[in-house]
Amino acid sequence: MTQEPGSGAAARARLAEYPSSLLRDHDAARLALAGRMSPRELDEWSAAGLELAAISMRAWESADEFFKATPLLIERVPVSALRFVHEYGRSLTTESSTLGAAFFRSAAPVLERLTLGQLRDWAGLARQLYKGTWKSSSLAGQFLEVSPALFAALDLPEARALVNFLETLSVRSYELSVACLNAAPRVLSTMERHDRAAFLGFAGVIAETSWADARAFFEHGARLLQQVGAGQRGRFLMLAGAVARRAGRQAYPFFAEAAEALARVDEAEHPQMLGLAESLAAESGPAAMEFLKSAPRVRQRLRMEDVAGWHEVGRRILASSVEGGEAYFRLESSKGEEVIESLSARVELSRVSEILRMYCKALTGTPMTIQSVAALAEKGVGWVDEDRPSTEGTHVYLPPVVERHGSKEENFGVYKVYSTHQAAHLEFRSFDFRFERPGSQLETTRVTREPAGREPALTDMERFFDLFADRRLAADLFTAAEDTRVDAAVKREYSGIRRTLERVQQDELLTRPEVRGMPLRQAFAENAIRASLGGEQAIAFPAVFAPMLGRAIGVLRILQRPGAMVEDSAEATLRLYEIAEQIRNVVLQSAEFADWPELEADIEAAAAAGMTAEGVGGEGGQPTVANVPEGEEQPYQSPPPVDFRGDFKPELVQLLMRMKAEQSGGRTEGQYAPLTPEQLQQLLEKSVEIDISNFVEGDLDSSSGMFLSNLMKAAGTPASEKGQQRQPSDGAPAQGAGDEEESLQQEVQYFYYDEWDFRAADYKPGWCRIIQQTLDEGEDEFFERTLREQSGLVAQTRKQFELLKPELYRKIKRLYDGEEYDLDAAIEYMVERRSRRAQAEEKVYWRRNKVERDVAVAFLLDMSASTDEEITRREQKPGDDDFDDDPRRYLAWWAQKKARERSREVKRIIDIEKESTVLLMEALETIGDSYGIFGFSGYGRECVEFYVVKGLEEPFGDAVKRRIDKIMPIRSTRMGPAIRHAAFKLDQHDAKVKILVLLSDGRPQDHGYGRDRTEKEYAIHDTKMALNEAKRRGITPFCLTVDRAGHDYLKTMCEDIGYEVVADVQSLPSRLPTLYRRLTE
Amino acid sequence: MTTTGMYRQYAAEEYAPHVEPFYLPVGDEVELFEAAFEQKIPVLLKGPTGCGKTRFVEYMAYRLGRPVSHIRPAGGVAHPDGGLPVITVACHEDLTASDLVGRYLLDADGTRWIDGPLTRAVKTGAICYLDEVVEARKDTTVLIHPLTDYRRLLPVEKLGQVIEAGDGFLLVISYNPGYQSALKDLKHSTRQRFIAIDFTYPPRDVETRVIARESDVATEVAAELAKLGEKVRNLKEHGLGEGVSTRLLIYAGRLIARGIPPRRACQVAVVWALTDDAEIQRSIEEVVTSIFE
Repeated sequence: MTQEPGSGAAARARLAEYPSSLLRDHDAARLALAGRMSPRELDEWSAAGLELAAISMRAWESADEFFKATPLLIERVPVSALRFVHEYGRSLTTESSTLGAAFFRSAAPVLERLTLGQLRDWAGLARQLYKGTWKSSSLAGQFLEVSPALFAALDLPEARALVNFLETLSVRSYELSVACLNAAPRVLSTMERHDRAAFLGFAGVIAETSWADARAFFEHGARLLQQVGAGQRGRFLMLAGAVARRAGRQAYPFFAEAAEALARVDEAEHPQMLGLAESLAAESGPAAMEFLKSAPRVRQRLRMEDVAGWHEVGRRILASSVEGGEAYFRLESSKGEEVIESLSARVELSRVSEILRMYCKALTGTPMTIQSVAALAEKGVGWVDEDRPSTEGTHVYLPPVVERHGSKEENFGVYKVYSTHQAAHLEFRSFDFRFERPGSQLETTRVTREPAGREPALTDMERFFDLFADRRLAADLFTAAEDTRVDAAVKREYSGIRRTLERVQQDELLTRPEVRGMPLRQAFAENAIRASLGGEQAIAFPAVFAPMLGRAIGVLRILQRPGAMVEDSAEATLRLYEIAEQIRNVVLQSAEFADWPELEADIEAAAAAGMTAEGVGGEGGQPTVANVPEGEEQPYQSPPPVDFRGDFKPELVQLLMRMKAEQSGGRTEGQYAPLTPEQLQQLLEKSVEIDISNFVEGDLDSSSGMFLSNLMKAAGTPASEKGQQRQPSDGAPAQGAGDEEESLQQEVQYFYYDEWDFRAADYKPGWCRIIQQTLDEGEDEFFERTLREQSGLVAQTRKQFELLKPELYRKIKRLYDGEEYDLDAAIEYMVERRSRRAQAEEKVYWRRNKVERDVAVAFLLDMSASTDEEITRREQKPGDDDFDDDPRRYLAWWAQKKARERSREVKRIIDIEKESTVLLMEALETIGDSYGIFGFSGYGRECVEFYVVKGLEEPFGDAVKRRIDKIMPIRSTRMGPAIRHAAFKLDQHDAKVKILVLLSDGRPQDHGYGRDRTEKEYAIHDTKMALNEAKRRGITPFCLTVDRAGHDYLKTMCEDIGYEVVADVQSLPSRLPTLYRRLTE
Repeated sequence: MTTTGMYRQYAAEEYAPHVEPFYLPVGDEVELFEAAFEQKIPVLLKGPTGCGKTRFVEYMAYRLGRPVSHIRPAGGVAHPDGGLPVITVACHEDLTASDLVGRYLLDADGTRWIDGPLTRAVKTGAICYLDEVVEARKDTTVLIHPLTDYRRLLPVEKLGQVIEAGDGFLLVISYNPGYQSALKDLKHSTRQRFIAIDFTYPPRDVETRVIARESDVATEVAAELAKLGEKVRNLKEHGLGEGVSTRLLIYAGRLIARGIPPRRACQVAVVWALTDDAEIQRSIEEVVTSIFE
């Protein structure tokens, strides 16, 4: 260097050869550095920059960044160390100028977090990502760019983990890698330190096993992880990681779903849950994750200590069969359900509803159904509570689950108390209130109290409540009175339940709100409720009111007498209301309340009260309005209702009953107001049973309109549960019930069936839903035409079948006892006897063997799309209905098919199936076997369609003929549930011989009927199991197929069950009757 | 009657109730039966099992045979210490015409004719009670046709005889419309030869008295049992083919009278006796546990 040190002139001259910004930035930086570095150092610095710029074409950019960064760098490192930074940058620049530039750009801010020594490692990480390609340089550059932000969150080892992950991922996709990198600072900064390591570790696993999910993991992983208990995240990720290595592509979904599931489990239980999952992981990773996924559902039904027990059973299953164990933990096995059920103390309504239904039916003598309370709330007819039991006259609504106590028995006891109370409302006729009918205990004063010229009411209950100014108070008092009466009647009539009921009442008393401090009138109502619960000792009220309260209690006690009627409750309400009216609704100091452990119930005064229609206030020196405490009158509010008694809405029930009666063509008696929307509206507005505040604010009109239409609907909808007939439960005649039965038949019914999973060797509980409906009616033309066209065959089969008959009364000879002597045998016997032969046998009788033909048969027709094939073309086509996932393709094909069909008359498989059915029906009618014809098809497990062409008990008629016309190819073939359903129907039918004939054209096949679309074993095994189940129920199944390739799978499917492959489809009509004959002989 | 040390044995036509059977009339069935007997009109008793049909027949036989009875039949064989003889035939699906009329039996040197129960009743003028008549084969029911109209004749084909029915002869058949399938219904030509008296389970208060009397339990217990009966009968057609019979309730009462706890007694005598369906059993058991402590 010849020039004076510190001038940098030479360097500047050379810098000028590069784009101008380089020199400009150099000069600016040099100026800034002037005070900090010696001129010599400055020269070296310039030279260093030049050295960088010379490395490659675009290396000047790197040099530029070097210049710009130096003033910031020397804030952090000594000048002497600057060369190290330069050195790292230089070496990166040799790789790629972009990297070099990025390095210098980020170096200064990164040094805020890293030491100088670590800077080298940092550069090393960038180099690790750089693979000499354009994409990799962009990734590495990006890494350097975000590094300042990154190191704000991570330390170097973590960054190394991240880089390792990015590198692995970049092998698959640079785009994903970049995306993850960009997300990293934001995502990772929110995490705890120890979570981060685990998170990155798992990210690495994801990159290896299911790289496509890496981005999703980066974007959502942190949030998901947040849901796992704070101390447990690392453990969870470790587990997920371990599983992921084996589960491959499932890694992320497992992670995500398990995390979501854990979020629904109490955090305190996460360690235990994870511990249990870990113990499964060694055996099967998926099982461990499935366990976590099922955890919240299991936990909902089991206490934590029982979860371990459930887990243990599953672990043992897992040890013997991985598939079985996984299904178990997926809650897709009957065993899993069973174990939960046996461990669980809670009682689910769905499991006991049938028992309770019959119990209520027995108690009330009216057809009842049991439904979940939610169903009532859904109807939108005034009941809004979703927890407490109720009834609206024909159904008893109960909460879906009871788990109050530690044992199933006790919890069931709760259900029993609930339903007994609701049924008792019907049994003891709470809803049968008649305004003018006198009670049996208290004198009737209602009629005289009623003002003249009143508006006619819709129901008796409404008319009664019209007597009161404060309907809410009246309704509360009536509820308390009526519940007192009903509970007393229950205790009297059902002594077995008395103890349970008393305990439930005691439990309720404990949860009642504090009465002290309530406004007085409200306190009075609350005390009435307490008294109705048998908690007279729990009453607290100001002492001045002792005689009044005594009278009130007396009134309630009268209702407990045998023979008390709902009308007595109404009278009691009037008396209680009068008392309440005299009590101002003011708040008193709680000190003024007195406990009344022993209350003097004044039954005489109670009975006498109300003798005068004017009321009793002020008589006999009892407290009057005058000596009621001063204070500000509060608006009256209802005390909280009693849980086990639920929502008692007599006014609505009466209204519903009336609407029902009228909709089924019943009477309208003169004393009622006509049922008009206006009237209903009016009732709606005044009744306290309907909480208008639940309607959308400011939208009262339309809400109430909807309410009314709901009411109409509820009144018109009969109970739809199986085996139910609707009848008004107030004893009124059930008009038009017959008509409704008819229309009910048309309704779609749902049935659930298990499905056999041969891998897990267990059932998947409630897996398939059968949608049963009666097939639409078409023309009877097909039926008649078939008979015409096939008249020869018809005559022939009929003859065959008629021959069956005489065989029924065959003579059996040579019996010890019988109807008559067999002359030949008798002679023989006598001869032998006379000749004194020892072996003379007295078998001289004969008897007609009375074999009654008692056969029920169900024909199950395959209505899958493949039956649409024309017979002649069958050979050229694959025999599968392969439209699994694309309904459009299917529709297009179908439409095409239809069009072709119209153009020329070609018989399809389904036509042959139909023809055979027609012939068989004709023949069956001659021998009088009961038979049902059913078709099935569907798509997926949730919708297996089951069509009734003719029910087992249904007589043959024109409707059946017309339905046959509508048998047509529809969709897939899920045979298992269809067979189970047909077997169920046969099972319900009483016959000595039961036969199930399955008529199909191919193997069972459906969406999700197997691991994937090509798998056949699953479907075949399930079908086989369904056939075996039928056999176990004493049904003879028989499979008939027109699929020539049928032998291969039928052999497996029908191991020891009869089957036949009809080679020539055309011969089916003649073959089927013959076969049937053979089957039933 | 032959009395051995171990048992008493009667010829079929000689047996008659000798102690007044306990029967509590629910309606006018007693008057109806008396009138029918007097007018020689065959009687069909309809009703579910265990509601007292057989008891009613025995009671009527006793009543009609009593010397004090104002319609004591002239030709009837009045038993010295009881009522009219009753010949009961429980019909089953293999019951043939010869089972009713009679048959040849093999004897040492040939055959010997033996009268069937119907023939004996016809000859002696007894009440012949065919229990569960629809169970019998259809060809056998035709046999009773000439007996049940103005002719009152029993043709005995194999002997070539026709027997005129004795004065006290009355054919009574019973029939439970509840569980007979359509297959097993009475033919109209048979049906329309009888007047039909309809039996149902007695109302709660009557049944209480019956149970109390028959099983020797306290009236309160009997009332609970009657209540149980009423509740369980509500389940008929809703899972139960037939309601619980008074007979079963009496059995339960007897067990209780012997010291079996009521819940257990009802379980064995009612719940398990009625059905094998576990769910219905459970439902009925819940009713039992509600009623009995």
